[in-house]
Amino acid sequence: MDFDFTDEQVSLREAVARWVAKDHGFERRHGLAKAGGASRAVYGELAELGLCALAVPEAHGGMGFGAVEAMVVMEELGRGLVCAPYAQGALIAPALLGFAVDAAFADKASAWLSGVADGSQLLVLAHQERGARYALDRCTTTARWDSAAWRLTGHKSVVPAGDEADGFIVPAQVEGQLALFLVGRDAQGLAVRGYPTQDGARAADVVLSASPAALITRDGLSALALAQDIGIAALAAEAVGVMDRLVATTVDYLNTRKQFGVALSTFQSLRHRVADVKMQLELARSMSYYATLKLSEPAAQRRRALSQAKVQLNHSVRFVGQQCIQLHGGIGVTDEYSASHDFKRLTMIEMAWGDTPHHLGEVSARMLDTAGVFA
Amino acid sequence: MLKPGRCLLRALILTMDLNFTTEELAFRATIREWVARHLPQDISHKVLNALRLTREDHQRWAKILGAQGWLGWNWPKAFGGPGWNAIERHLFEEELALAGAPRVIPFGPVMVAPVIMAFGSAEQQRRFLPGIASGEVWWSQGYSEPGSGSDLASLKTRAERVGDHYIVNGQKTWTTLAQHGDWIFCLVRTSNEGKPQTGISFLLIDMKSPGVTVRPIVLLDGEPEVNEVWFDNVKVPAENLVGEENKGWTYAKYLLAHERTNIADVNRAKRELERVKRIAKAEGVWEDLRFRDQIALLEVDIVALEMMVLRVLSAEKSGRQSLDVAGLLKIRGSEIQQRYAELMMLAAGPFATPFISEAMEAGWQGEHVGAAHCAPLAGTYFNMRKTTIYGGSNEVQRNIVAQTVLG
Repeated sequence: MDFDFTDEQVSLREAVARWVAKDHGFERRHGLAKAGGASRAVYGELAELGLCALAVPEAHGGMGFGAVEAMVVMEELGRGLVCAPYAQGALIAPALLGFAVDAAFADKASAWLSGVADGSQLLVLAHQERGARYALDRCTTTARWDSAAWRLTGHKSVVPAGDEADGFIVPAQVEGQLALFLVGRDAQGLAVRGYPTQDGARAADVVLSASPAALITRDGLSALALAQDIGIAALAAEAVGVMDRLVATTVDYLNTRKQFGVALSTFQSLRHRVADVKMQLELARSMSYYATLKLSEPAAQRRRALSQAKVQLNHSVRFVGQQCIQLHGGIGVTDEYSASHDFKRLTMIEMAWGDTPHHLGEVSARMLDTAGVFA
Repeated sequence: MLKPGRCLLRALILTMDLNFTTEELAFRATIREWVARHLPQDISHKVLNALRLTREDHQRWAKILGAQGWLGWNWPKAFGGPGWNAIERHLFEEELALAGAPRVIPFGPVMVAPVIMAFGSAEQQRRFLPGIASGEVWWSQGYSEPGSGSDLASLKTRAERVGDHYIVNGQKTWTTLAQHGDWIFCLVRTSNEGKPQTGISFLLIDMKSPGVTVRPIVLLDGEPEVNEVWFDNVKVPAENLVGEENKGWTYAKYLLAHERTNIADVNRAKRELERVKRIAKAEGVWEDLRFRDQIALLEVDIVALEMMVLRVLSAEKSGRQSLDVAGLLKIRGSEIQQRYAELMMLAAGPFATPFISEAMEAGWQGEHVGAAHCAPLAGTYFNMRKTTIYGGSNEVQRNIVAQTVLG
């Protein structure tokens, strides 16, 4: 039992924080969002810091670091409200490439991993389909073997940083089984339509028409479940950073802004709200640790734990986000002020990788007779 | 800036770990085995089924723990305690709770003993600590008064120094289980000078003293859990004053600071969640997904609370970080206690409505309405409303939390 960070993890945290302080102020972030949300340049800066190599195995030019280091980075990116597909490109993609079993694909996977590690290649998971909502096994995209290559046909939506990516990891049906494929950005028959998202980032619809693809694994569902759980842990850490930042802004504001001749922070109704916000923040931080530390458990335990974490996270981000806007009053609902951007990111986090009814259902279906962290 | 290839080095550095160490697990196993052998089954049966516990039940268990040297499980070795660290204490508490041990009446070993250790005279330590450690002496806590609830420092019970005695006059209330008490530690007013906090003293009073009257207060569940305690010219030897006169508030605050993670009561919550599930299955609402989702939500709440407790324990053990979340633990823990009691009652539905007081006695031979497990559920639900009120109401706790956040 030990929740202290190592000196190395603290250094990692400080390195990201220094970059945020120096190169990623709110004005730049605001400008990027207004300009349509392009974030590849920011992603490139994270790569220059060496962060894209974090989760890539050493054999492929990475650092082979673990989930706790990923959590530390995500928390700091959240604290800087950094808009970059870091979780997708640097955490989820290498984990999915790790599922590659097909010998024919091994060399390719290795090349992709090296590119992921140095940030030259941005590889994102394109799994969302209309009507699937948060179910990972609902997929209408199909793959068929065409004497020389696999060819994929289907329509994926809201693919993170889709129009900035160099390649896609795409789930598709093969003989009633969900498999994962890799499709290059330049693949024949592939059309990408990008658009900004509410939180100042970008996403895209990706339409595949008999597009050539490489098979990563036929056990796509296990791989997707892992991607989801890595994604939830990353979101939890990021959200903790965003909430830390938003609460700090709110506390400053309450201590500065005067009404009726006194600081807002003197009003008990507002003080109690802050206490409730602090509660939700600390519960989320606790569950962020839980999510990260449970990632290495066997799949069944991992799945239950990550759904539990997402239920708490979703409640926390909504409560903290809404209440911090309310505590600000009018300034909180303006575009020029950072709180509204924090709030929008927190709202997107709630809808990513499963909302509360979805994950509460997962927890409900997976409950044991016993309960608790070690159940 | 980040150099690859540090895996070997990294493996040598202890990193964040959710799991207990081998030593901690061995410690847990030792406790578990001891509890299995020593906790009387008639007592754990009552606890696990929320049946009425007698003074004798509490005393019998306290003395068993006392004989092992574990009633003062949070005591340092210098005073005869086991000298366990924060995680060992937590594991001990968890094993007791999960096995269905009665809650140790905290007023002696957890509350007054640390104050006597820190501020009492050597003579007081010699005189009072053995009786607390063995479980022989039942202590009560005399804090709240009719006019002093959340505003405790406004208390009026007076102690006047006359020769080598104090003469105590006044009234305490909400005194938990004082009907069983041998001794009571009281906050009394010894001065009206300055701020209310500065005129308070910490006095140990023998409840058999002439002039002490105890009258039970029946609570909404029909049980006499708390009392009014009157002091009418009670003569208390001056040597029963702990520390210095007018410094009692400081000692009381020390006592509150001593009570950290235990306040969340998460171990008991885990045990009671298991009971919620058993009752929901027996009553047929487990298959109702709308009901089961509410249990799932409580399960998430309990895991999150447990993680918060574990964070505090880890911080205490390493001393590398400080976590000021005692107020949060009290708020969340008490809300969860209320919630599991609520869900159990709702699971039983109509069968929770009969009020048959005798059905709360172990071994009652009468005819239950529905399953026997339904009988105590509404009473427990009603009783649990106290948890957000006592120990500093949750509104007072929110003031404290807000103070740490906003200044």
